[in-house]
Amino acid sequence: MPDFSLTDDQTSVRDLARKFARTEMAPRAAECDRKSLFPEDIYRKAWELGLMNLNVPTEYGGSGLSLLDQCLIVEELSYGCAGMTTSIIANCLALEPILLGGTPEQKTRFLKPFCASYNLASFGLTEPAGGSDAGALATRATRDGDHYVISGEKCFITNAPNASLFTVFATTDPALRTKGICAFVVPRSTEGVTPGKDEEKMGHRASSTGTVRFDSVRVPVADRLGAEGEGFSIAMRTLDQTRTPIGALANGIAQAAMEHAARYALQRKSFGKPIAEHQAIQIKLANMAQSIHAARLLTWHAAWKIDHGEPATLESSIAKTFASDSAMRVADEAIQVFGGYGYMKEYPVEKLLRDAKLTQIYEGSNEIQRTVIARELLRRYA
Amino acid sequence: MEIVVCVKPVPDAETKLRPAPDGRTLDLEGAKFVLAGYDESAVEQALLLKDAVPGSTVRVVSFGPPGRTEEVLRAALALGCDTATLVESPPLAHSADVRSVARALAAAVKKLPHDLVLVGKQSGDSEAGMLPTALAQALGHPGFNGAVELKFDPTQKLFTFGRASEAGLERWECPGPVVLGLQQAGNDPRTAKLQNILKSRRATLDKVSLAELPTLDVAGATAEAFQLPPPRTGAKWIEYKTPEEAATKLVRLLKEEAKVFP
Ligand SMILES: Cc1cc2nc3c(=O)[nH]c(=O)nc-3n(C[C@H](O)[C@H](O)[C@H](O)COP(=O)(O)OP(=O)(O)OC[C@H]3O[C@@H](n4cnc5c(N)ncnc54)[C@H](O)[C@@H]3O)c2cc1C
Repeated sequence: MPDFSLTDDQTSVRDLARKFARTEMAPRAAECDRKSLFPEDIYRKAWELGLMNLNVPTEYGGSGLSLLDQCLIVEELSYGCAGMTTSIIANCLALEPILLGGTPEQKTRFLKPFCASYNLASFGLTEPAGGSDAGALATRATRDGDHYVISGEKCFITNAPNASLFTVFATTDPALRTKGICAFVVPRSTEGVTPGKDEEKMGHRASSTGTVRFDSVRVPVADRLGAEGEGFSIAMRTLDQTRTPIGALANGIAQAAMEHAARYALQRKSFGKPIAEHQAIQIKLANMAQSIHAARLLTWHAAWKIDHGEPATLESSIAKTFASDSAMRVADEAIQVFGGYGYMKEYPVEKLLRDAKLTQIYEGSNEIQRTVIARELLRRYA
Repeated sequence: MEIVVCVKPVPDAETKLRPAPDGRTLDLEGAKFVLAGYDESAVEQALLLKDAVPGSTVRVVSFGPPGRTEEVLRAALALGCDTATLVESPPLAHSADVRSVARALAAAVKKLPHDLVLVGKQSGDSEAGMLPTALAQALGHPGFNGAVELKFDPTQKLFTFGRASEAGLERWECPGPVVLGLQQAGNDPRTAKLQNILKSRRATLDKVSLAELPTLDVAGATAEAFQLPPPRTGAKWIEYKTPEEAATKLVRLLKEEAKVFP
């Protein structure tokens, strides 16, 4: 039998994230959402406490946590504010290609100074013409002596307006499809790198999202991660790592929605009794609890498999898809429990629905996840 | 400077308190014990002094049952204290008489070098506020409770601090060793960093066992009974759209129902 109990280390890092989420993030969440503010002081504090570069080994200045530990933290942070969490964990996404594809020299050169102070990084894969079909990306990398010259545009890039470092995927030859893609580390200060403005979004409004243009950006060959043509594999292996914490992020939203709904149901009266005493409301709450519990166990299990070095493409896709769909359902039902008040911006639950929606879209849409799940499944019966 | 901070494990503020079946103790089964309230400030103040006076050491001491006491000691280590000493209490000594606690702590503190012994001015749970004085007495040092604005003057080797009284703020200065019950630190308590939390979990704690302690059976206060307060009724919730409406409704209730004024 597997052991589902958390170690003392795990509960103590979770408690740190919980305290930070509840005392620093949650009180500012509504305002940042309303005004689309990017609370850099909170992000800086998250870095100071070690809640930012969770996946980077301690020798490079990160927190060096297992994926399961990362998931515990991400769920707590997201309970406080999903948008802030997206910006806090974008560094994990952006730095993972360096961890997976970088040489020890590159890791030391890029990660050490980056992690030693407060810095944000962005992962640049998606392009205006398409995100799901990443193999078809159009940003070009043309070899010129000991440099590559990169030209193209990325879009929907988390933290791009604020990042000092980008990991960028570009192709040396679109005809080679996935085999032509290379991964690069590009500091924002490089000539020709132009991040766009922060986009207006439906949710996760405390996070910044924008385009990045690359106009003949000269990148040393020494800053390419992995071999030429290995970029697509690095991108996919990166997402294999970071997909599961998106499940945890969705679970944090769902947990917050359920707690709001339960408290409200105990206090709101109709027909002479608290609505929590109406069976229809009880069924909603029970369904929320079931869904969250299942999603959390799926997330933990996927993370646990990855931590044990086992293949977990199927499990991580299931966890991300199930948890994000669950968060949408739970947030939707939480609004229903609140009735008209749930639809009002003055109350916290409508934000949760808007925040939950993104978890079905980014880091591989749920449609793409289902094609992955089906592929893994059918392979077993072919 | 050698600083010792004494802290108490107290149930986390979210704990739902209820009397145990014997009616004389609290049921703290499953409660999470934390470093809280004035104790957090005492640790913060000790660390501020350590930063201000290079070469200082901060040692933290706690008396209580092993599990929960270890937790608060590790929390203090994660914040930056240098060593931790656990003084093991006999079972069920959570609500031990304050003089027994002071003697147990003093036995451990005596073994440590100390210019300053800092404690919270009262504990986060029972809030009796007697320990600082009892500890000073047990150690045979001067003691003050309710200290604020604590500083150390290294040239004169004097601790200076204030104490709020009804007449205003008293200013005191005192050479070490001295026991101070702290009312407020110069800063909001800091939060421990993740790496330090993980490091503190692997730190070894010094232990003082029961056998090493002076006899603790001081005939002192014992709790007779714990009861939950009766559920309160009579609170009224005013529904309103504008502050004016709220004020009008409130005034009407105060006049007509509470009859606070005619
Ligand atoms: C707020 C936000 C932050 C983001 N942050 C980043 C980031 O930091 N870095 C980054 O690189 N990207 C980021 N993204 C991009 C995100 O990963 C993409 O939006 C996502 O992968 C989908 O790509 P697309 O938007 O181009 O949709 P498309 O690929 O155009 O897909 C449109 C629709 O068609 C469906 N679809 C596409 N192909 C198939 C198929 N084969 N079978 C079935 N259905 C299909 C999709 O599921 C979707 O429903 C972010 C997006 C958002 C909204």
